[in-house]
Amino acid sequence: MLPDSIMAFLNEAAEQSRTKVPDRDASLFLSGVLDSFSLVDLVTVIESEFKIRVDDEDLRPETFDTISRIEDFIARAAVAK
Amino acid sequence: MSCHIIGAGAALPERVVPNAELAALLGVTSDWIESNSGIRERRWVAPEQSTSDLAVVAVRDALSSANVSAEKIDYLIGCTISPDYQVPGIAPLVQHKIAGCRQVPAVDLRVGCVAILYSLQLARALIESGGAGTVACFGAEAQSKGLDLSPGSADLSMLFGDGAGALIISGDTNAKCGRFDLRVEDVLLASDGSFAEDLIVRAPGTANGARWLSSEQLIAGLHYGYMNGRNVILHAVRKLAEAAIEITERNGLGLADIDLVVPHQANGNLLAALSRKLSLSPERVISNVGRFGNTGGASAFIALWQAVQEERLRPGAAVLIVAFGAGFTWGAALCRVTAD
Repeated sequence: MLPDSIMAFLNEAAEQSRTKVPDRDASLFLSGVLDSFSLVDLVTVIESEFKIRVDDEDLRPETFDTISRIEDFIARAAVAK
Repeated sequence: MSCHIIGAGAALPERVVPNAELAALLGVTSDWIESNSGIRERRWVAPEQSTSDLAVVAVRDALSSANVSAEKIDYLIGCTISPDYQVPGIAPLVQHKIAGCRQVPAVDLRVGCVAILYSLQLARALIESGGAGTVACFGAEAQSKGLDLSPGSADLSMLFGDGAGALIISGDTNAKCGRFDLRVEDVLLASDGSFAEDLIVRAPGTANGARWLSSEQLIAGLHYGYMNGRNVILHAVRKLAEAAIEITERNGLGLADIDLVVPHQANGNLLAALSRKLSLSPERVISNVGRFGNTGGASAFIALWQAVQEERLRPGAAVLIVAFGAGFTWGAALCRVTAD
């Protein structure tokens, strides 16, 4: 499960794009929830929420393309922390 | 010896290309271009105009701004990724075209959108080492001549405009005879070539097989630019923000102490994302991307020239220049307007 703050961000991004947050394995980009610039803001929210810095190797659109991938990243980040 | 920017100039082609003209070629709408880039129009050179033609006008304008004659130039630094020729570089061409310029060293830097920062770092090193007293540096681009203007190429081709900007940099602290004096206090630069293929023009190039340019490469479009837009934007905002924070902190400042930010004009949405990340209000950020598009290596030069034109460089102001480009390479420069 994504934390409430991340889900709130995705819901707001979806609302602005007049769409809905898709299923956990569907692309947030293809569904129109995220674009290049809201992705920047999503990473900022994640870094702020978990007090981490996303490494350059993980700073790729693919890392945040679906809810399940975001969950995987957050789980890995928590272990690394 | 300290290093001072004492003149700024610019040259922008007469031809205005509004989104509507480009949209028709690229198979998108004007609104799509503006909403995805913040760009409403850009300037493109005429067929008979070359990049050095723009650069010469900008350097002359900068010399006039500094109230310095061309004879005073000791060193020319020219930056472009859209040169007149593959060889020779653009800087010697500009040396030849500037009346009164002596037979001084003239070097090209192929550093894309970060041109102003490499220029400032090298000019500062030359001046502080005694290698030169006055350096003229410029960024100039005529990238419109190399754009893919077919449907499907909008992501990249909607962005670029042509133009040139130039600075006169001096170590003579008594040289203040122009309109302003901006002391270069620090320059931070970095690169990471592992991202080279995210923003690239492959041809002509020796990594393409037996020939650096072939008909097969042209058919494949390797002479056109390619951009992994999402990755570029993600890393650009990250690196620009980190460079801004690092250079201010290592000079005992915070971002709240910065009066004016002069960024490379990559994309209006990118500038907005950077401003959100650094909590910069719009009035602290110079922006001209809506009118001129992304002018590559010229853009931060033109933005600084704009700051001078708009009289934004008040005495004592801290000015932060930030840029990011292909390579990736990125950085920041911290400058201070000297008090009268």
